[in-house]
Amino acid sequence: MSDDARAQIFARVRGALARLPGKQPLPDYAADVALSRGAAEVKSPSQAVARLRERMEGARGRAFTDGRSLGAWLIERGANRGYVDPTLLPAMRSALGGFADRLTLETELDRARIDDYQFGITRAAGAIAETGSLILDDATTSRRLAALAPWIHVAVLTPTQIHPHLVAALAALNDDPCIIFCTGPSKTADVEGILIEGVHGPGEQVALILPQL
Amino acid sequence: MSHPPSGDLPQDPRRERIDQFAAGQSESRRSAVRLGSKAGHDKRTETLARDYADPDGLRALAGAIKQHTLDHLDEYLERAEERLRAHGAVVHFATDAEQARAIVLDILQRREARKVVKAKSMATEEVELGPFLEGKGIECLETDLGEFIVQIDADHPSHIVKPIIHKNRREIARSFETHNLGAYDDTPEVITRRARVFLRRKYLEADAAITGANFISAESGRLVLVTNEGNSRFCLAATSCHVALVGIEKLVPRDRDLGVFLNLLARSATGQSLSVYTELLTGPRASSQPDGPEEMHVIFLDNGRSEILGGDCREILRCIRCGACLNVCPVYRQASGHAYRGVYSGPVGAVLTPLLAGGKPDAFLGFADLPRASSLCGACNEVCPVDIPIPDLLLRLRDRGKRAGASSPALAPPTMKRFAQLASRPWAWRRALATGRLLGLVPAPLRPRALRLWGQNHALPPWRGGAFRKWMAARAQPPKAEAGAKA
Amino acid sequence: MATCLADAFFDDVARATVEVLEHLGCEVAFPEDQTCCGQPAFNSGDWPAARRVGRHCLKVFARADPVVVPSGSCARMVGHGALLLFEGERDLPAVAALAGRTWELADYIVRGLGVARWPGRLAARLAFHRSCHSRGTQFGQSALALLRSIEGAEVVELGEAEQCCGFGGTFSVGFPHVSRAMGDLKIDRVLEAAPDALVSADSSCLMHMAGLAEKEKRPLRTMHLAQVLRDALRGKAHA
Repeated sequence: MSDDARAQIFARVRGALARLPGKQPLPDYAADVALSRGAAEVKSPSQAVARLRERMEGARGRAFTDGRSLGAWLIERGANRGYVDPTLLPAMRSALGGFADRLTLETELDRARIDDYQFGITRAAGAIAETGSLILDDATTSRRLAALAPWIHVAVLTPTQIHPHLVAALAALNDDPCIIFCTGPSKTADVEGILIEGVHGPGEQVALILPQL
Repeated sequence: MSHPPSGDLPQDPRRERIDQFAAGQSESRRSAVRLGSKAGHDKRTETLARDYADPDGLRALAGAIKQHTLDHLDEYLERAEERLRAHGAVVHFATDAEQARAIVLDILQRREARKVVKAKSMATEEVELGPFLEGKGIECLETDLGEFIVQIDADHPSHIVKPIIHKNRREIARSFETHNLGAYDDTPEVITRRARVFLRRKYLEADAAITGANFISAESGRLVLVTNEGNSRFCLAATSCHVALVGIEKLVPRDRDLGVFLNLLARSATGQSLSVYTELLTGPRASSQPDGPEEMHVIFLDNGRSEILGGDCREILRCIRCGACLNVCPVYRQASGHAYRGVYSGPVGAVLTPLLAGGKPDAFLGFADLPRASSLCGACNEVCPVDIPIPDLLLRLRDRGKRAGASSPALAPPTMKRFAQLASRPWAWRRALATGRLLGLVPAPLRPRALRLWGQNHALPPWRGGAFRKWMAARAQPPKAEAGAKA
Repeated sequence: MATCLADAFFDDVARATVEVLEHLGCEVAFPEDQTCCGQPAFNSGDWPAARRVGRHCLKVFARADPVVVPSGSCARMVGHGALLLFEGERDLPAVAALAGRTWELADYIVRGLGVARWPGRLAARLAFHRSCHSRGTQFGQSALALLRSIEGAEVVELGEAEQCCGFGGTFSVGFPHVSRAMGDLKIDRVLEAAPDALVSADSSCLMHMAGLAEKEKRPLRTMHLAQVLRDALRGKAHA
């Protein structure tokens, strides 16, 4: 069924294109024409961290550069129980310091209890300073649902994983089947144009930037 | 600011439908649409000026890249197909809506899927997929908040990006109550929270997910889904089968070209630099990933696009569905999306709806009034991220509509033959100028219809036919003539 | 090219245009056989009728260079619309040639003749309405430049300036409700800016807005750019 359809569509497309008086060539352009103002200024990892943090906060996300601050913030929010990628557990225990004992960190995600997890901590595959985005992918995110279902999502990364801008992030795309740029908490303005955060996805999008992992 | 009640104007069977619709609209709805649109437009303007020194140059570039892709669509389509297959996706082709629906049904039935969750997709609305699946006993739930609200209300979206721009919180709260989503509460946070809780359960129970795609990069086969709510992410994290329905015109050449399009799309639509989620998908989930679809299907949809591709309105296929043209359009702001009687509204709808209908004989004529619903102001082209010359396309469609309607005068506007006769015979023209002064003495019902209609809303300027000519002629006379005298 | 509207209603605009051009040293001819640029038929989709009128236009202005017209809308028809209208027709080259030598008035003064500062004086608070047909051209910038350069003139911004006034020719007759709503919004913005006069380089927009305002008994004074320029030459103290 689909093979005939395929042949028909290609025949129609080719027939249509044959009628064209002229064809537009592919414009030759420098990728940096798409860089927004100031994007090219970000050159070092520390500049990238600063820009990422500024833009994340602009998109109403949060960035922490040490685990203890994150731990304090989670406790203060009343978020005591959550999921953490098992391969991240040692690093998180170390980074959270004293706060680690006040949190329940589960390393398995049970779909049946999905709303029990107040936070999900997974690895980021990267980040984009220009837009304040975190990059997630299938290879480095232990569970897609862990990065999505809990109200708070914490993506953990190091400064050298941060791309200066979207153009650079696109140039670095690999074969991972599911790469996601996350820019701030999930939101909608469908009801009278009023902005509400935390629709289906996280109401808090957090980055934890550690010196090394 | 006073606006006359619509009852002022007489009921005229030849009055344009969109004008009648606009006149019959409630003030609160008109206001909601106008202010929502204006806010979207203002944010777009602000963000583009803040972030780019030459936004118009970027738009022109994006337009050229899209036009190039369309002009070489067979090559890019083939490449995208090959890449998707190489990554483990199953690729299908659908010539029309019926075929698209049949393919989706077949995929779902093979998987014994009874419950489906759906992310926002204009293509799926175009082929009326939801109602079709419901008719086959498969629950098909909209997950985009606006579309969800439209679905439970059995309403229709009125904007490409903001489907319930025409609704207020009270209407939504009443709806939720009617559908057992909680006692009346019109607080936006509560409305949203209730939808979150309800839909979450549905995602986890669903067997399959249906989405569209904003772009497909031919180089890598990557589908790009652009959302803010996280509904498509949840669809693709909680279910085991993904079906994507994508118009063949959604292709772009390479991953790097996405830099241009992604930077323009969110800014044009809502003034954000990037929407909250940009998903780049090449195939089913990685083998190491427990969550997500184990099967991914991409259905390339024609449904009239290949016909448009070879025609004189083909630039419309560049459209990336940002909604910027709707937001700025003064006619859309007055009439609202429902006035356009189709899935696509506003300026893009005025071109696309008649064109997509063009395959069926009388269907084009049925929408031939849409291209007329425009003062040709050109604001749409000015904001279009892919620089579509919409006013020119509207004019071409008016020409096409006139020729198609030659056999049905009731659907076509009156002929301009008499005007053309007058305007190509200088002696007749000059005589009309001289005698037109008498128009004021002719009783209203006998004046030409156009003049009468004009006169209902406007004070007529005084007739001065021949005055300028007399003045010019007098100046050519020797000085003793009445130079500059009034006619 | 005087325009059909000036021929029928706005003879003072045509007169002012002639006086302004003569002041700049031009010799102004008015071919008497001219009628209309054909835009009403073109916009309504009756392209065969529009081509008939367009061909008459070609004849009338065959040897005229330059052709200057006090209307962005007519200039755009001759300069752009006609090229769509005559696509694939034998006379396309002649149409393109006429397009190449036709100028909108303000644009001719500023970019054709290189006038940067308008002489004379006019003490007035003016709001400028840039007609939609000047999109994609320099007409609007040229007109604004001239107005701002007039001694004594204060040019004020209009809110929502990109919104169309709602005339659109046949649109205002076919879509009277929407056209009027658009015009009313425009008049609201003008009244908020409180100018002494609303100025435009297009009589069509002014006719629409003035007509609506008068019917609704709202105070709106309109002037064509040509009239402002002429009045400045006469050194009026107030518009």
